[in-house]
Amino acid sequence: MKEKIKERLRERIVKWEEKSKRRFYIQIKKEDLKEVVKILFRDFGFRFCTATGVDNIKNFEVIYHFSDDRTGILYNLRVFTDREKPSLPTITDIIKGAKWIEREIHELFGIGFEGNSDLRRLLLDESWPEGVYPLRKDYEYGRREELPDSLTCSISEGVKEGRTVIPIGPYHPLQEEPEFFELEVFGEKVIGININIGYNHRGIEKLSEGKHWDQVTFLVERICGICSTSHPFAYVLAVEDLLNLEIPERAKYIRSIIGELERIHSHLLWLGLAGHFLGYNTVWMWAWKTREVILDICEQISGNRNHYAMMKIGGVRRDILNSEVDGIKSKLNSIISALNLFKKAVEDDPVIHARTKNVGVLTKEEAINYCVVGPTARPSGISTDIRKIDIKNSAYPLIEFDVPVLNNGDVYDKIVVRVLEMYESVKIINQCLDRLKDLKEGDICEEVREIPPGEGIGRYEAPRGEVFHYVRSDGGNTPTRHKIRAPSYMNVLSNEVSAVGGTVSDAAITLAAVDPCYCCTERIQAVEFNKVKYRWDDLIKLSQEKTKKIRKRLRE
Amino acid sequence: MSIGKLIFNFLIYPGFIFVLLVGGIASFLERKITARIQWRVGPPFLQPFYDLLKLFFVKETVIPEGVNIPFFILVPVIAFSSAVLTSVLITNIFIKSFQGFTADLIVIVYLFTIPSLCVIFAGAVSKNPLSSLGSSREMKLILSYELVFWTSLSIVIIKTGGKITLRDILTFQENSKPIVFSLSGFIAFILSLIVMQAKLGKVPFDISEAEQELIAGPYIEYSGALLGFFKVTHYILLFSLPAFISVLFLGGLNIFKYLLLLIFIIVFENTNPRLKITQAIRFFWFYLFPLGIIGIILAVKGL
Repeated sequence: MKEKIKERLRERIVKWEEKSKRRFYIQIKKEDLKEVVKILFRDFGFRFCTATGVDNIKNFEVIYHFSDDRTGILYNLRVFTDREKPSLPTITDIIKGAKWIEREIHELFGIGFEGNSDLRRLLLDESWPEGVYPLRKDYEYGRREELPDSLTCSISEGVKEGRTVIPIGPYHPLQEEPEFFELEVFGEKVIGININIGYNHRGIEKLSEGKHWDQVTFLVERICGICSTSHPFAYVLAVEDLLNLEIPERAKYIRSIIGELERIHSHLLWLGLAGHFLGYNTVWMWAWKTREVILDICEQISGNRNHYAMMKIGGVRRDILNSEVDGIKSKLNSIISALNLFKKAVEDDPVIHARTKNVGVLTKEEAINYCVVGPTARPSGISTDIRKIDIKNSAYPLIEFDVPVLNNGDVYDKIVVRVLEMYESVKIINQCLDRLKDLKEGDICEEVREIPPGEGIGRYEAPRGEVFHYVRSDGGNTPTRHKIRAPSYMNVLSNEVSAVGGTVSDAAITLAAVDPCYCCTERIQAVEFNKVKYRWDDLIKLSQEKTKKIRKRLRE
Repeated sequence: MSIGKLIFNFLIYPGFIFVLLVGGIASFLERKITARIQWRVGPPFLQPFYDLLKLFFVKETVIPEGVNIPFFILVPVIAFSSAVLTSVLITNIFIKSFQGFTADLIVIVYLFTIPSLCVIFAGAVSKNPLSSLGSSREMKLILSYELVFWTSLSIVIIKTGGKITLRDILTFQENSKPIVFSLSGFIAFILSLIVMQAKLGKVPFDISEAEQELIAGPYIEYSGALLGFFKVTHYILLFSLPAFISVLFLGGLNIFKYLLLLIFIIVFENTNPRLKITQAIRFFWFYLFPLGIIGIILAVKGL
């Protein structure tokens, strides 16, 4: 494959670098960008992951990441543009999924894209001043912009007579986090959609440039409460890719166990919410009750229900005691009966069929065009799973599991794929736990001292799809660039095609079917009769006692 | 019979106050049992009444800009008063001194439609895209279930030999057997149960207020006491509709018959997802209506 690409691109390649067996960096001239993208995307059938903008001070650099999902090799196109008048040719006419990423690079770096007419703000607030680009290096870390006196919010204009805009969001029972879908409707039928995001933008990529390498693991864990181990997982993989490091075997198994536990609880959460969105609240509560079992296991292993802090560059932070393995296994396998129940409910209930079959269809062609990932892509007949191809420092290459792929691309298939994946996750965890028993306790981490200059890419199959982290080091103790792309970033945009054409009721479940990622980190204080009953320290103490109780119960 | 006793009968027992209390308790039961089915704890016993107190005395009433204010205020009040009137007519059947009046069945069925009509008006007057979508859905829903409801009622009328007074229907059943114990009567009973679910706006027919799609649909702009009126209407309907069905088909009303119907509502609600409006129309017109026609034919044949 490598030779074929070299053959096709020939004199367009300025420089060909091989950082490792799976990471190829191809430097090209910006005039050739469109042509090369066309060859990689259309002719070779590679998936476009994302593009990373980097400010090199003397010039700007944009790296377009393409993934070969059969072999797990990443082909990264590197283009440079000058700093005075930064601009690149657009690729949105070739890849629809690049719409958001070009808007994002435009607002954060000020790089223009010739031929792209839609370069509205994506993440930054409307009140953010013009011509200030926060990810450039001349934007100081910690600088603040002044708020304007008045803030206005505008809904799309130019709605024709007889059509109405149904707003779903930014605050809406359908969306637990702020996202704003403007559904343009004619009667009940949805004829257009405009997706606005950015209400939750926290500038993590910029923050990351001010934290040292170990702190970043904790920072990225806070991106999301549900995929709280996927982001650190991908981040440590990226740094290990930079270091070219192999971690101890025991750590590999522990990483996979935590990752799969997270997948099960995330899918159960989604399954419950899907029931809720269909108006089936019983499924909602039952799924979440089952999820508690998984959260208890997580708490037993890591001390926390959601933020596990297990990942560390070079291994994991905490061990799983061999004496606890049997207790975890029996508890884990107790959810199988609940999974069977849900599987049967989904297979047999005629009303669920009526509400989800042939609803919100995402065809294979559109799925490729929008570069969707994970459980949004697999129901459309695309066999893509990062666990199978590109996670060296994990247990996935060492054990057996299947990747369920379906063909209809409707909401029903998205439910089925997720239910089947939970069975696979249980299988994976069981295998990992069995192997753990044969390995010596305590050998869980490789010591890492210096991060040399270089760049690395880590990918992990989060519950919602591929999460992508790119890090670059100049040898100092902080990353100079840390690009993060969560799976929902690619998946949510695909609603542009899958939600249009159905009714408003269909749109509600279709919008939710990509499982947009919820940020649920919240700090609590319980207040009773105007007096603070529990202070922060008491709460920590209470939660520690609860953990002890669970551990005790599981040991018996 | 003194006028004082009559007022007592209409306002306190078995009239308005009684119906409100029973409806509130039914609402509590519904929420509690739902909660237990879903492995939750559920509300305390008086929660429905706390809700009312809060809405009527604590929360402020916000009237949106640009609406027709008298109409906006009148709609929930009309819904409330028609619901009270219906339930008073039904419950007072059980007092021997009150015989009802000729053809009160027809009046009651019309009165049952008024709360739903008020929901349509509420949505239309609110000037909100979500509420107008909700009221258009409610309109389609009424069109689909009313036909089935009348079919089911005509079976009862045929079975009783053309009686359209509630008291007469009751006497007829007391003399022979409850209508549900015949094939056509059973079909009519099933149809009425499903229509009852739709009239109460419960899952799978809570299409007009679909929380996850339309937030609250027609009620979205209502708050405070005005929302309170709608809430009371719901409580009363939760009593009077099952009571009405029970009188028509089960030969009278007592606590067991009522609880049976209530439990049916709750279980039906908790084992189904919400239908789409098109699916609901198709369900009523193409599945239930032909079934009702078969029921009528059977009733004419005397089965």
